[in-house]
Amino acid sequence: MLISIFAELLINNRALVVYDGEKVYFPTYGEMIPGRQFGLDYDYETNYRELQLAYQKSDGPEFVILPPVPYDAYEIDLKDGRFPPYPPSFADRHYLGTDVIGRDIIARLVYGFRICMAFSLLLLVMNFTIGITLGCIMGYFGGKFDLLFQRIIEIWSAVPFLYIIMIISSVIIPNLLMLVLISVLFGWMGLTWYVRTTTYKERAREYVLAAKTLGASNSRIIFHHILPNSISLIITFVPFSVAGGISALTALDYLGFGLPAPTPSWGDLLQQGTSNLQAIWIISSIVASLVVVMVSITFIGEAIREGFDPKMHSTFE
Amino acid sequence: MKKRHFVITLVLGISLFWSGSAFANETLPSNIQWLSNDDAPLIGSPDAKKGGTYRSYLTAFPLTVRTVGPDANAGVRDAILANRLSLTTIHKNTEEIIPELATHWAYGEDKKTMYFKLDKRAMWSDGEKVTAEDYQFTLDFMRSKNIIDPWYNNYYTEEIDKVIIYDDYTIAVVSKKALPELHLRVTISPTPRHFYKGSVPKDFVKKHNWKVVPNTGPYQISNIKKGKSITFSRNKDWWAKDLKRYTGRYNVDKVIYSIIREETAAFEYFKKNRLDAFSLALPSFWHEKAKNMEVYTKGYVKKLWFYNDTPRVSFGFYLNQDLELFKDRNVRYAFAHSIHMKKLLKDVLRGDYTRLEQSTIGYGKYTNPDVKARTYDIEKVKQLLTESGWKRGPDGIWQKGGMRFSVKVVYGYKDYAKWLVVLKEEAKKAGLELNLQLLDGSAFLKMVSEKKHEAALIGLSASLRPSYWQVYHSDNAHKPQTNNLSNTDDPEMDKLIDQYRITTEEDLRVELAHKIQVRSHEIGGFVPTFVRDYFRIVYWRWWQFPKVPATKLSSGAFSAFGTGIFWLDPEIRKETLAAMKNGETFEPELIIDKTFKIK
Repeated sequence: MLISIFAELLINNRALVVYDGEKVYFPTYGEMIPGRQFGLDYDYETNYRELQLAYQKSDGPEFVILPPVPYDAYEIDLKDGRFPPYPPSFADRHYLGTDVIGRDIIARLVYGFRICMAFSLLLLVMNFTIGITLGCIMGYFGGKFDLLFQRIIEIWSAVPFLYIIMIISSVIIPNLLMLVLISVLFGWMGLTWYVRTTTYKERAREYVLAAKTLGASNSRIIFHHILPNSISLIITFVPFSVAGGISALTALDYLGFGLPAPTPSWGDLLQQGTSNLQAIWIISSIVASLVVVMVSITFIGEAIREGFDPKMHSTFE
Repeated sequence: MKKRHFVITLVLGISLFWSGSAFANETLPSNIQWLSNDDAPLIGSPDAKKGGTYRSYLTAFPLTVRTVGPDANAGVRDAILANRLSLTTIHKNTEEIIPELATHWAYGEDKKTMYFKLDKRAMWSDGEKVTAEDYQFTLDFMRSKNIIDPWYNNYYTEEIDKVIIYDDYTIAVVSKKALPELHLRVTISPTPRHFYKGSVPKDFVKKHNWKVVPNTGPYQISNIKKGKSITFSRNKDWWAKDLKRYTGRYNVDKVIYSIIREETAAFEYFKKNRLDAFSLALPSFWHEKAKNMEVYTKGYVKKLWFYNDTPRVSFGFYLNQDLELFKDRNVRYAFAHSIHMKKLLKDVLRGDYTRLEQSTIGYGKYTNPDVKARTYDIEKVKQLLTESGWKRGPDGIWQKGGMRFSVKVVYGYKDYAKWLVVLKEEAKKAGLELNLQLLDGSAFLKMVSEKKHEAALIGLSASLRPSYWQVYHSDNAHKPQTNNLSNTDDPEMDKLIDQYRITTEEDLRVELAHKIQVRSHEIGGFVPTFVRDYFRIVYWRWWQFPKVPATKLSSGAFSAFGTGIFWLDPEIRKETLAAMKNGETFEPELIIDKTFKIK
């Protein structure tokens, strides 16, 4: 996670540090520096790999420090006389090879992971905000409001989410936020249902009654008594929700209805991998990454579940 | 009076019975000059053997076997229509007019009327004679509201004026407009009047979904297994089977189309000898999947690479000139100079395709060879944009005022993404930002036909002669549902096109076409991409061809109902199957035919 946030420093076609004899540049963040600045004959973004080669030949004090993987997720690296996908090669610094268009797989994996995580965390926050709020209100106050929303959730749950999202994203071009919003629109019901049930259950417990007789306000009861006691349930859902978000985005991208090309995405890699089984490095990298991420999320989930085991940490205030 | 009567019948959609003799009072002009053409070169081989079955596939089962009405525009429609002969046709190599159901033809002085003497031998597949009435009925049929097909309703009303019957075997077909090469418009095909009992039923669309209509061609649908396959079998007593022009053609007895939903699955079927041929048009098939497959290295199948010469699809970027950005000609030019086709063709498409130079390619003398596409040139982009007052922004993209040189490119096929991302990266170097938008097929067409795109990557299909009005005339600019996708609105262009449309003299037309192509290049609203000037296939070695395996206009070698010049050699088949059993091999064979390659 942490690594992927600073992916620009590790995996990028912009150099970390450039010294051209007079001045030190840090091109990673900031505006693009045209090739002419370094004495090259073009106005577009400097190709730092070529610059490094040029400096190495010139024996001067100039130097370029490149990230360990000197490729961007969008950059297409084509070799003369050969056609992508290229197999993994240390000489080319494509440590996991390239995809069918000639883009570095590590770069696409890491940047894709970052987008995927951003998607599922955003999704998580929104789903949980809506779910907890509505669930608490439904469970605590009950009555007609509860009845009404129960029916709405039942009906809304019957809408086939994946089809809807496909139809919508074939009409408009979704960006990340759009996609999150659409997913939230059809994904908030699950948690709401659970939170409602626990709130309903907790409300009937003696300590809530006690708090009520002591004259505690509704908001105090909800925030200080009910929520802390149902937190174990909510927290255990977090990892699975993240995993769900990742697989949802991957599935959409796989089908071509997710984020528009050429955004790096796991679904796109998976799709390329399955249709080009002869290029085994594509499918193996993406499947391995998926397995590692999903398994670690499950393990984290297990740990959290144990950490919040209600048998060990019941808080009756 | 008779004519009045005719119109009323049409309006009511009820056909009253009248015989062809009702028009017998029409008399042929006396100065008619009948033409015929029985000496066109043969395309079939006299050595061809009859017999055998050709196995092909479809990726989806057709929704109907009707050829008009809802859902008819797919599936086996082309195969069915190929088995319905017309009055005349054009020779697939020489493009000269040759007879089909008419033996003789003549042009009227008004350039609208064409006279035909029908072939008295012609028969429907159910044994009835083909007569003048069947041509009249084509008009009644196509104009009927009951077929629920506005396109045909319109075409047979707005383009074809009428059919005049002189006697049972002499007719004239009249076009609404005077036209050059009138035969391309008025050679209609007959519709069996006896089969429809003289009228189109109200529930035609429903009732005729799976009805096989009598035809005049060599094959007829003989078996429909819903969801599985469609079989065409030879018409046993096809009336034209002994005619000289059909020598060595239509050799197989049966053609079976099975439903195989996936290309890759079909390829596996082919390798297992359950299909007879497979198209290797895609680079991934030719260079990877089919390159060293066992059936080829052992010589059981052969590969054929055939260069053809037909009007090419104008595939490229259509820039919307209603957009503020593209109102400046320099910007349109700069866009064209930012598209790195050469790199795409060489490094991604493996040199399998060639650059499309302009929109009129493959039209023989109509093509102006001097018009060449703009090539990738960063310096030119710089020069053009600086001239118009643009500057490179901090992110390397050109800017002017509040505008960025950033263009949204819409496209309708997922496969294009692979090509577009390469162009996008190269365009960035030139200072152009391309934003790619994949749209679902129908959403894409809607957006483009409503002219809401900035730039669209699309191929407009080609007709036999270039037609410029629909693509470049201001009549069709700034309004939805027309083919002027670049919103070209240029008075000089309009003048040229208007002239081109009314000119019937060929040399002048060619000259005008050349001028239009130059003007279109000057306007620069279309940025051509690439073109494939061949087809390539792989097939089992028992299939045989004449010396030249296909025609100039062919798009495949196994056109069973079009040219139908291939045949199965049972001896070689036996030999090959035995060899496969015993593990014997043959020399692998790749045939490259350049008969029609344009140098």
